[in-house]
Amino acid sequence: MTLGPFDLLRPYLQTHRTAIALGVVCLVVVDFLQLWIPRVVKRAVDDLTAGGQEAGLGGYALEIVGLAVGIGIFRYVWRRCLIGTSRQVERGLRRQLFDHLQRLEPAYFDRHATGELMAHATNDINHVRMATGMGMVALTDAVVLGTAAIGFMLYIDVRLTLLVLLPMPMIVVGTRLFSRQMHRRYQRVQAAFARLTETVREHFSGIRVVKAYTMGPAAAARIETASTAYVAGNLSLVRITGAFFPMMVLFSNLSLALVLFLGGRATAAGTITAGDFVAFISYIGLITWPMMALGWVMNLIQRGRASLERLAAIFNTAPAIADAPEARPLDGPPERIIFKGVTMAYDGRSAALERIDLSLERNRTYGIVGPPGGGKTTLVRLMGRLYEPAEGTVQVDGVPLARIRLADLRRQIAYAPQEPFIFAGTLGDNITLGEAVAPGRLAEILKDAALDRMVAELPEGLETVVGERGIMLSGGQKQRVGLARALLSDRPVLLLDDPISQLDTVTGRRVIEALRRRAAGRLMVVVSHRMAAVEWADRIVVLENGRLTAQGTPAEVLSRSDYYRAACRLQATEDNGRAN
Amino acid sequence: MRTDYGYAEEKRLGRPYDLKLLARLVPFVRPYGGMLGLAVVLVLTITALDLALPYVTKVAVDRFIVPRAAPGEALPAMAQRMAGIGWMTGLFLVLVAANFTATFIQVQLMEAIGQKAMHALRLDLVRHILQLPVAFFDRQPVARLVTRATNDTQNLHELFTSVVAFVFKDLFLMVGIAAVLIWLDLRLALISFAVLPLVMAAAWHFARRSRDVFRGLTVRLAELNTRFAETIGGISVIQLMGREPANAQAFGALNDAYWRLGMTQIHLFAVFLPVIEVLGSAALAVVVYYGGGAVVSERISLGALVAYISYMRMFFRPIRDIAEKYNIMQNAMASAERIAAIRDEAALDAPVDRRPTTPDAPAASTPLVALEGVVFGYGTDAPVLNGLSLTVARDQTLAIVGPTGAGKTSLIHLILRFYAPREGIIRFEGKDLRTLAPLDLRRRIALVSQDSFLFSTSLGDNIFPEGLPDPGTVAQVLEAAQCTDLVARLPEGLATQIGEGGRTLSSGERQLVAIARALARNPTLIIFDEATAHVDSATEARIQAALAYLTRQRTAIVIAHRLSTARAADRIAVLRQGRIEACGSHEALIAQNAYYHRLNQQQV
Repeated sequence: MTLGPFDLLRPYLQTHRTAIALGVVCLVVVDFLQLWIPRVVKRAVDDLTAGGQEAGLGGYALEIVGLAVGIGIFRYVWRRCLIGTSRQVERGLRRQLFDHLQRLEPAYFDRHATGELMAHATNDINHVRMATGMGMVALTDAVVLGTAAIGFMLYIDVRLTLLVLLPMPMIVVGTRLFSRQMHRRYQRVQAAFARLTETVREHFSGIRVVKAYTMGPAAAARIETASTAYVAGNLSLVRITGAFFPMMVLFSNLSLALVLFLGGRATAAGTITAGDFVAFISYIGLITWPMMALGWVMNLIQRGRASLERLAAIFNTAPAIADAPEARPLDGPPERIIFKGVTMAYDGRSAALERIDLSLERNRTYGIVGPPGGGKTTLVRLMGRLYEPAEGTVQVDGVPLARIRLADLRRQIAYAPQEPFIFAGTLGDNITLGEAVAPGRLAEILKDAALDRMVAELPEGLETVVGERGIMLSGGQKQRVGLARALLSDRPVLLLDDPISQLDTVTGRRVIEALRRRAAGRLMVVVSHRMAAVEWADRIVVLENGRLTAQGTPAEVLSRSDYYRAACRLQATEDNGRAN
Repeated sequence: MRTDYGYAEEKRLGRPYDLKLLARLVPFVRPYGGMLGLAVVLVLTITALDLALPYVTKVAVDRFIVPRAAPGEALPAMAQRMAGIGWMTGLFLVLVAANFTATFIQVQLMEAIGQKAMHALRLDLVRHILQLPVAFFDRQPVARLVTRATNDTQNLHELFTSVVAFVFKDLFLMVGIAAVLIWLDLRLALISFAVLPLVMAAAWHFARRSRDVFRGLTVRLAELNTRFAETIGGISVIQLMGREPANAQAFGALNDAYWRLGMTQIHLFAVFLPVIEVLGSAALAVVVYYGGGAVVSERISLGALVAYISYMRMFFRPIRDIAEKYNIMQNAMASAERIAAIRDEAALDAPVDRRPTTPDAPAASTPLVALEGVVFGYGTDAPVLNGLSLTVARDQTLAIVGPTGAGKTSLIHLILRFYAPREGIIRFEGKDLRTLAPLDLRRRIALVSQDSFLFSTSLGDNIFPEGLPDPGTVAQVLEAAQCTDLVARLPEGLATQIGEGGRTLSSGERQLVAIARALARNPTLIIFDEATAHVDSATEARIQAALAYLTRQRTAIVIAHRLSTARAADRIAVLRQGRIEACGSHEALIAQNAYYHRLNQQQV
């Protein structure tokens, strides 16, 4: 089901309908009280004209102050209710967007840049808030004051009122014409803002490369291009909005001119009385503000609509990887994971894996080797259903992954990706991911991941703040944090993508020993370029150029695969002696 | 100070904003001074036209529509009156058209000034940020800086278009009306101005409280952005580890904090604006009471009182307008403050000291790179490097081995002058690094780091950021970095867009691209920081063969975990606990150094 832009808003407006209704009522009350004060002043002046006494004046003064206090109180209520609702909308939409993005598959983020998504979460949601909050207020104001003014005018003279309303169809036509253009240009401006955000983000996050490669001027030039496009978009937009506001005022002034000319002649000719004419002119003044408000509302709403559409486009992207309706729970640890004729390609690229048939069993460890771009990481990702095969199926105990409840599947899997993502926070939080862990067990994991000494040397130990993306850690340290995270979760399927690539050989060996101790009862997959990390595995799988070229016990593969043989020989001969 | 989320929280700024902050914006607007002047003139024109329109109506009514004959004069003839009405309507229409045109031009002008000034400010900020030392980026989450360069500059633009012109107009109106009020009746004016101190007091109190709220909002928004960016970056880990609920909860807490501040802001405005309104009405009440009394005692005329009352009502409108605009102003000031804080980061990346305190090393026999007694640590942390000395001879390859976390990457960062050492000297070609412009230094070095950051442009732009060289060189670079197969596999070859951070490539492929980028630079010094960790031995062997050819006339530093990589070097240095423990050939180190010996034993 696709959501229209306003479907996003509706649930919030429904939830807060009491507040909205109360706010609108208060706003209407304020509008009428405001029309009342001039009446009090008029009565006071009339009294004075009639030669009234000083005694009544105090009463009038008190009445004005009383009205003002009443206006103040009602104003407070509508601001809280209406603007408060818009803040609720903002809060809810942002949370909803975040939850939705978290459910989208990684492939989505391959296609959509982080900075652009950030722009949605701030800029676009902000526009929606403005459109709902101030939009509601200005719309109510325009309708109430406009109706009141027209009512007063009708009361005085029907014919003149009709004259005043003569330019109205022009307003409707103009608004329709302009708002379409406005909408289109707002869309362009918002897209340009998103691109600007992403360009800035990209170059700031790659600052080390920018500096090392003296790309500062080039980076600034790219940001300048994005910023120039944004400026141009805004200037093109203001050619529309800049004409629109004054146009609304122009129309109400045209009404006035009509009244002045036709009404004036009628008055001069004695068809209507002078007093009615003067009163009429003064009421036309009342219609100017609603007209301006209307212009402003149109602007806010068009901007909000363009933003809502951009948000709806995200919400309408259903997670490509989600529970199928017939998804089944997965009871107990998987005994067997099978790849049946699996082909997989990333967007716009040739196949990363082609027709892979592979069977992985519990209680065994698999070593995956192969040249870069061979498909090793893809194989591991498919097992966790982070991506889906284009052809063929991956099955767990005979059930295709697509028919297993996603949460159940992932609860069985621990995964240490090649480049472990480190969250800003403390070292301890990065390992435990915020869960409570018995100190003894944590110490054991730290030891297995060869982190114990490093943690002991840090003055703040596990409480050390590691900075964004673990900027304060070395590559090897990050890798071990990712490893500790996977080991700690203690799950039956352990997927390790290149776990020791950035460790020195001594540390690497310690880690491998720890992995060996944990192999029993698990299905373990180790991707590595180092033979030491895989040579002890029960099975070796060789992936070259997306194809499975050999599999079997290390001895079998040694005899079957040229690649594996060459790789072993290379490391063995180069490494001086201790060849296996 | 830390938030619950680990970042160093942005410093609270105690000092209230001052005009100096606004003065700093002046240089960005100055080029558009003429346009700004014209815009202000137009604003005043529009105000005058706004005031003239009712006057035209009044004249039309008094002279032609409902004329009152002065004593001794006859009423104008009906035909004359009809014609007069026509003329006055014509004049009215001309003024209306002028009003429309002036408003349109004024809006275009203000938008153009605002946009261009903010564009200049944004670029100035971005250029400044790009020049800040790497240590600055260690402390700042990227999303926060992005927020400053995008959302905050945007806020300043709003200041321009919505505030500057209108504040002029409102001030102009206020002063004018105040003058008229005083001219009409001094005593009444003084009495009705009695509420002004209360207005001031309310505004002052409000300004102080709302400032904190607006400051809070800018800080929280950056936090939200940061969390967003981080979640997207770590989405695979989050999903596979089933961390979505906990992560959503953490985000929800930040989102709620932002919302609560937003509600506080609403409360402040909902109290403040009505208070101003009540005070305005109180002034009106005072005028009705005292002014009415004055009419009764015949001190002033009724007409004067009526005029006085209508002006009084006009007087409070601009005050309310300004208060309303205060919202935008506060927002912009809070943003200006944050931008200024970054702009004030004076510690530019690697400032150049042209007057060296250390003499240049003698030219003959100078090593390309020399480190003498270098002590270095991040921030105020314990030192990572502790009295390290090392030389890298020209045209030689030096390998550095050592346990993870020993300071190998820090050493590289010091040579690139990403950081400055706490003690000791680093020389490049015998010159103290502090005396070299960082751009000149870095232009001669190519780094292939542990994580190969690529840009979301085409593959070709990533490898050859300064434009494609001749096809022969391209082929040579691609071949040496083992990228030929990769390029052949991609649908559009070098022109293929590789996505954010090159995420459509595998880590091994990214590493190969980074190596190609380094080779394409044709550097004096090439640094490999575990550059082949994600590459298999066969590919690595081929890269090394190509490198050996390419580095004949070049100096190289190679950080390696695999001894197979290190052994090919001319010399090997063992870095442990922040010092060089030993340095020499493979064979010499096996004999001399216990760590290296053990490393060699365990190597497979």
